[in-house]
Amino acid sequence: MELKLSKASRSLTPSPIQELSHLAQRCGAINLAEGFPDFSAPPHIKSAAVAAINADLNQYRHVQGICDQLAVMMKQNHGLDVNALTDFVICCGQSEAFAATILATIDQGDEVLLFDPAYETYASCIILAGGIPVNVPLEPPHWTLNVDKFMKSFTSRTKAVVLNSPHNPTGKVFSKEELEAIAAACCQMDCLAITDEVYEYITFDLQKHISLASLPKMQERTIITSSLSKTFSVTGWRIGWACAPSTIASAIRNIHIHVTDSAPSPFQEAALAALQSPPGYFKSLKAEYEARRDFVIQMLSDVGFQISFKPQGSVFVFAELPKNWLVSDIEFVKILIEKAGVAAVPGRGFFHGDIDDQNLRTRYVRFAFCKGSDTLNAAAQKLRDIVGSTGHLQL
Amino acid sequence: MFLRSLPSSSAFRSAARRISAVRMAAISTASEEKGASSAEKEQRHQLPSNPPPLQRLEKFKTTIFTQMSMLAIKHGAINLGQGFPNFDGPEFVKEAAIQAIKEGKNQYARGYGVPELNSAIAARFKKDTGLEVDPEKEVTVTSGCTEAIAATMLGLINPGDEVIIFAPFYDSYEATLSMAGAKIKSITLRPPDFAVPVDELKSAITKNTRAIMINTPHNPTGKMFSREELELIASLCIENDVLVFTDEVYDKLAFEAEHISMGSLPGMYERTVTMNSIGKTFSLTGWKIGWAIAPPHLTWGFRQAHSFLTFATSTPMQWAASVALKAPDTYFEELKRDYSVKKEILVEGLKAAGFIVYPSSGTYFVVVDHTPFGYENDVAFCEYLIREVGVVAIPTSVFYLDPEEGKNLVRFTFCKDEDTLRAAVKRMKERLHKR
Repeated sequence: MELKLSKASRSLTPSPIQELSHLAQRCGAINLAEGFPDFSAPPHIKSAAVAAINADLNQYRHVQGICDQLAVMMKQNHGLDVNALTDFVICCGQSEAFAATILATIDQGDEVLLFDPAYETYASCIILAGGIPVNVPLEPPHWTLNVDKFMKSFTSRTKAVVLNSPHNPTGKVFSKEELEAIAAACCQMDCLAITDEVYEYITFDLQKHISLASLPKMQERTIITSSLSKTFSVTGWRIGWACAPSTIASAIRNIHIHVTDSAPSPFQEAALAALQSPPGYFKSLKAEYEARRDFVIQMLSDVGFQISFKPQGSVFVFAELPKNWLVSDIEFVKILIEKAGVAAVPGRGFFHGDIDDQNLRTRYVRFAFCKGSDTLNAAAQKLRDIVGSTGHLQL
Repeated sequence: MFLRSLPSSSAFRSAARRISAVRMAAISTASEEKGASSAEKEQRHQLPSNPPPLQRLEKFKTTIFTQMSMLAIKHGAINLGQGFPNFDGPEFVKEAAIQAIKEGKNQYARGYGVPELNSAIAARFKKDTGLEVDPEKEVTVTSGCTEAIAATMLGLINPGDEVIIFAPFYDSYEATLSMAGAKIKSITLRPPDFAVPVDELKSAITKNTRAIMINTPHNPTGKMFSREELELIASLCIENDVLVFTDEVYDKLAFEAEHISMGSLPGMYERTVTMNSIGKTFSLTGWKIGWAIAPPHLTWGFRQAHSFLTFATSTPMQWAASVALKAPDTYFEELKRDYSVKKEILVEGLKAAGFIVYPSSGTYFVVVDHTPFGYENDVAFCEYLIREVGVVAIPTSVFYLDPEEGKNLVRFTFCKDEDTLRAAVKRMKERLHKR
């Protein structure tokens, strides 16, 4: 009966991120692994959802207002002129927006460039669509783009480049220069660009998130995907979108209609309230996350990590294990759960390509800081509790 | 276990190469050349000008529904076309969702479902079929039954696999099968009783058949597959080692017959994916809570696809759904009673207005033959119905691979409040004229 499975699904393995979460739960560990908040969603947004349910907005809907508002924000934030009527597809999370985009654009044998390390779902999605993920390693310690290597990864079969910025797991925000290089390559090789911008409002140190589509000649070939989840701390609501030139958006919409048909309607209504939040909301979001980032970096430094790359965005720190800690990422995470009751994610799951130094793939651990201060303080305390006389973790 | 390491990228690539045959996205670019030039690649980004028949139909269907909706609004027509209620779901379920939101259940749920919902689904399934399933290993929650269908096709069907569907069919079966690269064999159910054509089915099932898709109660005809029909299909499936995918979203709207789940027939559970949702049963079609129940080996493939299609399903709605599924018997009895009244209004009205009305045992749809009015096909009739009569129906030709097969039929829905139904019936009685 196993033969009944599609070849595509048999080649894929279950998500280690989800499995890790189960383990952390079983051990009652403080969860700095999974990238979702343990603090409340903003009250004004929850109220909007409750109001929508009470107002009987519970049948299949497409809330055009979301597209209208997103179009305004695209213009304000990135100078992009998009057509609110034709260029958006509202999906069940950025997950579905990305899956629908891949299914709409990737044919059997198409190659798709991914920057490594990478969120694991991209490659799996591409494979499910019959495509071939091609990994372009970013270079540690600062995860810089090696333009040469990048250009050499293109072949005549390259259909698209996937860009996740701000970046999970490293927290890198691609610079203007890097974006220009990527844009130039996409134009020259006549490829699509598919972006994942879910952390677009979580950038630090005056770092601005630049949307690849806003670069010259990119809008016509770029599909932007994003969602409410991280910006508004509602990862469980499943409201995301794809934004693309109308022909491509139309193809994505046709797929979406047959994958889920509609994003949850009351949350679409709440999305309107969310997206219309005043500028103060976005400012606080940044400031609060920056404080969390600083706290976690300090926490890790205090126990012996040398953080050579401070995240510029996202909700993650991708910490390199110090050279004198002779444990692998998995061993370290296991020790941390067992001894300190703190969970993080071993970095190897994010490395798919051939990175120059094979050892590096087992030297990173990802910590999430989208957690409330109680949680972070408790985690810091737990780590302090297990340091040795040197004041550092002994491994 | 999180300790397991992932396969290397080369394994991914060889896995991809092993995938044989052409797989088409629903709107795919037509180019199959390798090493296409830059200009040709530009061409690939356009929609193909001459797509294969299935994709042509896709575009056609979308246009029809859009056209109908626009016409409907323009003429102030009463919409008995859209398959969702104009009344709302029960308070106790809405309250449960509100509670969940307020209690902070707003973050990612476990990918395959909130445990309480998985258990509630298993319990409900046991009540309905007598079958005991493991909520952890055999139940997966999805964004509506729509996603369950997509995950089934993408997770369990290989490019080139033969899959049988019964026409007229809900459009996403064919669309997702196209996405999966399947070879679709359509068997037409014909009026007046839309019975399964046994000989046709027997010759259609071969050793190459991978799966059969069954929708019961059936949209659009309202047919319910009888025990005899299901037993016949079951024996053919067992003999030829064929999977069965069932869409049972209307199972609680079974009026004139008993709803039977294929998975409950002897020898069938191990090869069946049973799909359902709360949308129709609880009049909350926009919440998108559905599920699939399948044995572990089929569930595994299903979950692979699901995890990359949507990753997880809306958390507060899942909590509410777990409450909904524990509704007392009285809820379901009242549901059936209310819908029976609505059905009576519509069916009587359609007969009085001059349609040939085919008996519908389940769902909230009725199909009728419009030919007494003299229009050349269903689309033309529907346009007339909107413009001159002020009522919307759906032309059923969009539910067939060959539109010609459906040109005599249109579908009405009675998932509307009684006043709306009466008003629509009045318009049809007064304004419908033979050409």
